[in-house]
Amino acid sequence: MSWFFRNRSVNLIVLVVSFLLVFLPYFFNVPGLYWFSGKLMTIAAVTTAFAIVVAVYSQYRRSFRIINARRKGWPFHVYLLLLMLVTLFFGLAFGTNCVGYRWLLMAVVTPLSSVIYGILAFYMASAGARAFRARSLNAVLLLVAGFIVLFYQAPLTGAVFPAIIPVATYLNNTFAMAVSRVFAISVCVGATVLGVRMLTGRELSFLGFVEEE
Amino acid sequence: MGEEKGFDVFKRMATYDKRWIYVLLFILVLAPLLSPIGMPISVSDWTKDYYDKVNALKEGDIVLDSWDMEYSGYMELKPGVLASHRMFIEKGVKLCITLNHPEGLAIPAEVFGPLKSVMDQYDYTYGDDYIILGYVLPNEAAVASMATDFHGAVSVDWNGESIAGTFLDNIKDGGDFVMVASYTTGIVSGAIIRHFGQTFGIPIVRNAIGVMISAQTAYLDAGVIDALLGSTRGGAELEYLIHAPGPGLKSMDAFTLGHYMLIIFIIIGNIGHLGWKKRAEYRESTGIR
Repeated sequence: MSWFFRNRSVNLIVLVVSFLLVFLPYFFNVPGLYWFSGKLMTIAAVTTAFAIVVAVYSQYRRSFRIINARRKGWPFHVYLLLLMLVTLFFGLAFGTNCVGYRWLLMAVVTPLSSVIYGILAFYMASAGARAFRARSLNAVLLLVAGFIVLFYQAPLTGAVFPAIIPVATYLNNTFAMAVSRVFAISVCVGATVLGVRMLTGRELSFLGFVEEE
Repeated sequence: MGEEKGFDVFKRMATYDKRWIYVLLFILVLAPLLSPIGMPISVSDWTKDYYDKVNALKEGDIVLDSWDMEYSGYMELKPGVLASHRMFIEKGVKLCITLNHPEGLAIPAEVFGPLKSVMDQYDYTYGDDYIILGYVLPNEAAVASMATDFHGAVSVDWNGESIAGTFLDNIKDGGDFVMVASYTTGIVSGAIIRHFGQTFGIPIVRNAIGVMISAQTAYLDAGVIDALLGSTRGGAELEYLIHAPGPGLKSMDAFTLGHYMLIIFIIIGNIGHLGWKKRAEYRESTGIR
């Protein structure tokens, strides 16, 4: 039976059929198809949730290797595995609303998460201050635009010097937005191309089929 | 740049120790938080639009309230989340809250705790006026599933209680929501647009973190999203508009001082860079060290 699931054509057919079941209801009102498409997406969402099991397994395997080899930072991996184990225990045994799980969330996860985010401000400020150097004409233009936007972003500036608002808004609504759109459109075109390649069987590495040299 | 002897002020300015930035930023953020100055701020048109859109909601309207953020991101969006939810509560809007990140489980207490007095004042209660569905929108498939068949995707709230018999009985698919309020660090922000905004034409108002603003501006300009609250500053402006000072307005002094400090360091660095470069060129041309 395993040959069936490992067969390239079978995988491709499943892929194309699944795609059509989800894709077509957006364009054609076929009775029942919309409902079936919804069910298929629910199944996909639930199946994806199982990936967490694989993630937990992979993390344990990786951390055990580091701990066994006493590689740099191995005590942190002990701490990580311990917390994962305790969190799993409380979550699976008593649910996510129990005191133990909530305590772990509020006493460990949230402070660490906030601190990591807060530290970013220092790195960003330092990088911003040292990277903005007028080394060329392009850099000067970037510097001038950056200056105007930075001044505008400071909440006080707009209140005491309103003339800066239209200038900063112009920069945001023209240059910045144009670049954003280029980026967004490029991502969409890239995704479409990738989708077509996947559906035509030219890109199947995501299914575990390695391209032959 | 060429070798030089002695103290060079320009070199010092161009290559200052980054720890100066850390120390000064720390002081400039901490000082106004401990002792607020109360500097004036301007209110952007974006925030006014956001306020108008939320203010136009009627009592009993059901809003999909997508908390698309981890706890760290919540720290940045906190002012906007608190001010928006104060408005929702005061207007009697019914909220269907989704948590899109496992850390999101810690956020409800942080939001509804500070708003308890407002909730008591307006008799705003769990089950009747708002329901938290829990961690139900981790990815695009889940968003698409909920938008297509709401009760097929979700049947219980985050406590494991059935949602049957609540105001969510009126929701069959994504088209039954009056609005989507999205507080996002980008987990499923695109999927929300595709499966609620584009498929059903549901208005989307959004509070996004700073690094997402330039990308979201394009969506706002194209009418894909209806209103945008920019990061902490947008939240502070909303606090100002609803006359409910909170963490946003409190942090604006630190924002202003932090930005000005950054500008000063950029100026110092550039003066140093140009001066050092000029001296190096002079030394190269004259041979004088």
